[in-house]
Amino acid sequence: MRGSSGTQTLRVPPIMAEEPDLSSVPEAAVTRKKRLRISIVWIIPVLAALVAIGIAIQRIRSEGPNITIVMKGAEGIEAGKTFIRYKDVRIGLVSAVELSEDYSKVLVKAKIAKYAAGLMVTDAKFWVVEPRISLSGISGLSTLLSGNYIGFQAGKSSETQTLFFALDEAPVITDEPGRQFVLKTPTLGSLGVGTPIYYRRLNVGQVTTYALAPDGQSVDVTIFIHAPYDKYVTTETRFWNVSGVNITLNSEGVQVRTESIAALLAGGIAFDVPEFAKAGAGAAPAKAQFTLYRYRAIAMKEPDPFERRYVLYFNESVRGLSTGAPVTLFGLQVGEVTDVGLDFDRKTQVFRPRVIVTLYPERLVAELPTGQRIRAGKSMADMSGDERMGLLRRIVEQQGLRAQLRTGSLLTGELYVAFEYFPDAAKVQIDWTKDPVELPVVPGSLASIEAKLGSILTKIDKMPLDAIGRDVRAALASLDTTLKDASTLVNRVDTQWVPEGTKTLEDLRRAINDANRVVQNADATLFSKDSPAPQDLRDTLQEVTRAARSIRVLVDYLERHPDVLIRGKPAEKQ
Amino acid sequence: MKDEAVTAASLGLVSCEACQLLSRPANRHEPGYCRRCGEKLEFRREKSIGNTWALVIAATICYIPANALPIFTTTTLGEEEPDTILSGVAFLYTSGSWPLALIVLIASVMIPLGKLAALAYLLITVQRGSIANNRERTQLYRIVEFIGRWSMLDVFVAAFTVALVQLQPLTSVAPGAGVLFFAAVVVLTMLAAEAFDARLIWDANAPGSADHG
Repeated sequence: MRGSSGTQTLRVPPIMAEEPDLSSVPEAAVTRKKRLRISIVWIIPVLAALVAIGIAIQRIRSEGPNITIVMKGAEGIEAGKTFIRYKDVRIGLVSAVELSEDYSKVLVKAKIAKYAAGLMVTDAKFWVVEPRISLSGISGLSTLLSGNYIGFQAGKSSETQTLFFALDEAPVITDEPGRQFVLKTPTLGSLGVGTPIYYRRLNVGQVTTYALAPDGQSVDVTIFIHAPYDKYVTTETRFWNVSGVNITLNSEGVQVRTESIAALLAGGIAFDVPEFAKAGAGAAPAKAQFTLYRYRAIAMKEPDPFERRYVLYFNESVRGLSTGAPVTLFGLQVGEVTDVGLDFDRKTQVFRPRVIVTLYPERLVAELPTGQRIRAGKSMADMSGDERMGLLRRIVEQQGLRAQLRTGSLLTGELYVAFEYFPDAAKVQIDWTKDPVELPVVPGSLASIEAKLGSILTKIDKMPLDAIGRDVRAALASLDTTLKDASTLVNRVDTQWVPEGTKTLEDLRRAINDANRVVQNADATLFSKDSPAPQDLRDTLQEVTRAARSIRVLVDYLERHPDVLIRGKPAEKQ
Repeated sequence: MKDEAVTAASLGLVSCEACQLLSRPANRHEPGYCRRCGEKLEFRREKSIGNTWALVIAATICYIPANALPIFTTTTLGEEEPDTILSGVAFLYTSGSWPLALIVLIASVMIPLGKLAALAYLLITVQRGSIANNRERTQLYRIVEFIGRWSMLDVFVAAFTVALVQLQPLTSVAPGAGVLFFAAVVVLTMLAAEAFDARLIWDANAPGSADHG
C-alpha cells in the first residue's frame, strides 16, 4: 500500500499483442445486483423496542430506594396496599411484609418513590397510623377507608439509609410552626394524645405524647402549641386541667364551669398567665417544663414564698383529716395539712396521730390592711429566721396559741386544723431544735365534749354505788318481807273472811229474792185483771169521787147560802 | 405430508390473490396484473417472511409492557389502584369467579401469546423448508388469521369501562399505558398474519422449489 501510494505513478501493464481468453471472466450485469435490502417493516419492531426500552428505563429511573422498616407488629399493613405517606403524599408503597429471622419482629419492605429518595435519611421516622375515635373527634378518618398507613417524618440528617425502626407512637409534631412544652402531672387522668389545649377557650394545640417520667413519680405530657399562640406561653404561664366540670358551690350560688363540651367529655388543658405574674416575662423556650395543676384556682394561686412545716401530735382521732385540709388562724387560711400519719412515743410507749402542717405566713400578711401589710411584709422580709422564731415562740408560749382539730362539715365529718389563742391553756415549752417544730395542741371541740362527758362519768364512777346498792337491797329485802306479810293477810282474808261474806251475800240474795217474790205477788194480787182487788179499788175510788163531788156541792151550796148552817135548808119551792 | 404436489409457481404460473385466477405471468420478474380483477400479481409476496418476522418481533416486544403496565387505574374514594391484566386475572380468581378469570386469561394472555408462537413456528418451518405437517400448519395459519379479528375485545372492554365508570367522586377508571401496548400487540399480530404468505408453506414440497425471500 505504502509503495503504491508513495509513488504517484500508475503502473499499467503493457497491453499484450495477442488477445487472451476472457471467457472465464464474468460478464457485468446490466442491472445492479439486487442487494439484501432491509424491509421498511423492520422499523416497527425497532420502534416498539425503543418505546418499551424507554418505558423500562423510565421505570427504573423513577424507581426509588427499597427500604426495610422494622416493626413490632404489622396490624393493618398489607403488601401492595399500605402506603407510606408524608404530608398526606404517598411517598412509598409496602411491597412485602415478612418476619425477621428470629420471628420476633416484622420486617416491612417498602418501595419509596424516586422523588422521596432524599428523605430516607438516618433520623427519618416511621410509624403506623390507625384510625382513632375519641370523644374529641375522629382522627385519621382516611384510614377508615384506606386501612392503616405508615406515617413518615423527615429527618435532618443527610446520610441515607435503608433500614429503619418504626416508632410505637406517632412522633411529636415538629415540622409545623409552633412549640412543644412538657407538663408534669402526678397522674395522666383523662388526658390522652390529641387532648386539646385551650387558651382563652381557643383550641391552640394538643397533647402529642405522654410518657412516664424516668423516675416513675410523674407523667410527662408533651404538648404542642401551634404558632402564633405559642408566644403566649411565657415562663410565668400556668397550665391546668380543664377536664370535666368545675362546680363551685359557695355563697354566690352554684357555678358550673367547663371549657367546652369536648373538654367536658374528653378532657383538656388550659393555660394562662396569672395576674400576679411579672409583666413582660419572656416567652418560654421550647420543651420548657411546666407543672400541670389540677384546676384553675390552684394554678392561678400566688406561690407562697415562705413556708414552714410544723408537726402536731393530737390525742384524738384524726379521722376526717386529709392531706390538703386547711389550716386556719381565726378562720383565715394560713396553710394546709401536708401529711397525716402516726407517731410512736418511746417515752410513754403510746401511738398518737402525727399531723404535719405547712404554714404560709405571707398569706396572713396579705390579709392585713394595705399600710400594715407593707410594714408587716417588710418587717417579715427583713426578719431573720431566729427573729421569726422568737415571734412565734412569744405567741405560742406566752399568748397561748394552740392548734385544735375542728369539724369543717358536720355532714361529711371533714376536719381541719384551727389555730386559736387559748390563754387558759397550760403553758408549754417548745423544743425549737426539732425539725419540724412541734406545736402544742388542745383537744378539739368535739374532743372537749368527750372530755367533759368523761369527767362526768368519772364522777358517777366515784359514787358509793356498791353501798347504795347494798342499802337498796336491804330495803328491798324488808319490802319483800312486808309484802309477804301483806300477802299472808290477803290470803287470810281470802280464806276466812271471804266465805263468810259469800254466805252473807247468799242470804242477802235469798232475802232479796223473797222480797222480790212478795212484791210480785202483791203486784199480781193487786193489779192483775182478774183479781177482785182492782174492781173493789175502782168502786171504792168511784165512791170516793162521788163523795168528793157531794162534798163540793155541799161546799158550793154553803158558799152561796152560808145561812143554811143556821137556818137550815129551806123547803123546796114547788 | 410426504406426497409431492406441484404449485403454480413451480409451473411458472401465478394465481391471483384476490380472485384466485390462474394466469401466466407477463414476465419472470414482473408478473403483471390480473386480467380478470386487476389485482397486482405476485408469485410470492415480496419479503413476506422478513416482514412477518419484523411484525412478530414488534408484537412480542409490545407484549411485555402490555402485561407489565397497568391497563386500568381504578380510583375508589381517592384510592388509586392500578391493575395489570394478570393482577385482574388473579383478582377475579381470588374473588371466586374463576370462569371469568379463565376467559380473561385465555382471551388476553394466552391467545396473543399463542398467535405469536404460531406465527413464529410457521416462519421457522417455512424458512427451514420443512415439508412436514403442511396441512396442519395451514390450518394453524387459518386459525391465527380468524382469531385476529376478535382479539380487540379486551381493548373494547377497556374502552367501554373507562367511558362508563366515571362516577367522579366515588369511582373512576382511567386507562393505563398497558392498553396501548395491548392494542399494539393485537394490531401487529394481525398485520403479521396478513403479511405471511400461506403459499410458502407448500413451496418446500413442490418439485424444484424456488428460493424465496
